[in-house]
Amino acid sequence: MYKSEKQTIFYVLGLYLSSTLLLIFTLFSSYYLYKLDEREHQEKRVLKDYALVLEEKLLGVHKNSDTRYEYPRFREFQSAIYDIDKNLIFSTLQKMPKNLEQEFFFQGDNVYYIAPLKPYYLGGAYAVIEKKQEPLHIIGDIVIAALLVVLIALVTSFFLVKLVLRPLRSTLHLLDNFIKETTHELNTPITTILTNIETLGSEECDEKSMKKLQRIKTASMTISNLYQDLVYLLLNHQVASQNQTLNLSEIVRQRVHYFLDTANAKKLTLDVTLQDNVLFFADRQKMERLIDNILSNAIKYTNKATTITITLLPSSFVIQDEGNGMSQEEINRIFERYSRFDKTQGGFGIGYSIIKSIVDEYGIRIVIDSEQKKGTKVTLTW
Amino acid sequence: MVKITLLILTLATFMSASSFEENCLKCHSKDFKFAMMMKKYTQNHSSERKIKEAIFDYLKNPSADKSVLPYEYINRFGVKEKTTLDDATLREMIDIYYKMFNIKERIY
Ligand code: HEC
Repeated sequence: MYKSEKQTIFYVLGLYLSSTLLLIFTLFSSYYLYKLDEREHQEKRVLKDYALVLEEKLLGVHKNSDTRYEYPRFREFQSAIYDIDKNLIFSTLQKMPKNLEQEFFFQGDNVYYIAPLKPYYLGGAYAVIEKKQEPLHIIGDIVIAALLVVLIALVTSFFLVKLVLRPLRSTLHLLDNFIKETTHELNTPITTILTNIETLGSEECDEKSMKKLQRIKTASMTISNLYQDLVYLLLNHQVASQNQTLNLSEIVRQRVHYFLDTANAKKLTLDVTLQDNVLFFADRQKMERLIDNILSNAIKYTNKATTITITLLPSSFVIQDEGNGMSQEEINRIFERYSRFDKTQGGFGIGYSIIKSIVDEYGIRIVIDSEQKKGTKVTLTW
Repeated sequence: MVKITLLILTLATFMSASSFEENCLKCHSKDFKFAMMMKKYTQNHSSERKIKEAIFDYLKNPSADKSVLPYEYINRFGVKEKTTLDDATLREMIDIYYKMFNIKERIY
């Protein structure tokens, strides 16, 4: 999966899911409000019926008693009566309403309904009916519905992403395959050139041709190096590291030897100090790529007929050249490019990208000291 | 001092109670009819203040169409005489009447 692909997926999914969720939220909240309203109506109706029942009972008590009056009590609801001046006459309420202005209201867990009475049986001009609020049984429904909708949204988004990515994917595949194939095609000609130059001895050519041959060899080795880098980048994320204990001293010696011709062509002196048997646990190919890239950078950027100092110690590896060096700004830019390293972008940072990724994988610290007109020193420590 | 005040208070209640007998109970008796009148006033006027006001109003100026009693009854026995009591005494009498017969304190 490519980084840009991932980004596209996130954008599309984010947009799709957030708009779906917004829609769901609006729908559900209006459903909830509707239910709330519906409950209010229902409660009101029930309370009004209760008020009628109470009124009838009050009438009965008023008419049929004459010394003592038993206030009517009910299991389904509580009630109270107030006189015309809003003084309490009698109450079975659990909580007194704060005022009698509103006809219908919620207070705490209860609903209240205030009904005017006429005639004023037992003196009551207002009846207050109190009842427990009916719970709204829709939270469960909403949760189930929400889960269902999210599920549907996820399934559709899966297909949506596939649909969106198809053209992007095919383009990237095309490019990828093209690079892979050309890279593999490069291998044979480079190997042919290098082995054939190797077999040409000095007895077959004069000195002038020998020099030209040497230049061809250097150029071919540069291409070969580039080829190795490309292969590394293309296969890097497909092949797991095969870590083993490596004799770094051996590897550095071999790689220095490999670059000897290139260095000679620039009339460079290589000052090599290698501690014997420095061991490091890593993938052989990756360590070779790392050393090759640092070495070839040093050879590339140093001035003609200078010295490159290569030092391997038990826990550090230093390569110092005498080139033009870099300003602090340029060094920073290199690091910036490291940090922006992106496999899909490739380009000129290949060498640095490889150095950075290998160094990171093995927890090696890299420091670049550089002074303009004096040279650059790359230090790896572990 | 407290004792004297208490004495005066009981005396006053006793006296006004006895004047209620004189002023009202000489015609009405403490029976269901007098209670029924209070019930009617309660049913029509609701609060203590309104009930008392209405009774005061009636006793000051009785008339057939203001009466809470059934038409047949008024027809047969006629409307009562205007009260001869002064306002303060009348109000006092109505207070006692209310205290004796009001419904509010008899609800349980
Ligand atoms: C002289 C006799 C008499 C006295 C004294 C009297 N009443 Fe009456 N009262 C009547 C009669 C007769 C009626 C019924 C006719 C009517 O309602 O007008 C009546 C009716 C009433 C009624 C019903 C009014 C209505 O709406 O019909 C009330 C209340 C009442 N009396 C209160 C009192 C009170 C309080 C007193 C004392 C201050 C009192 N009465 C003193 C004769 C009396």
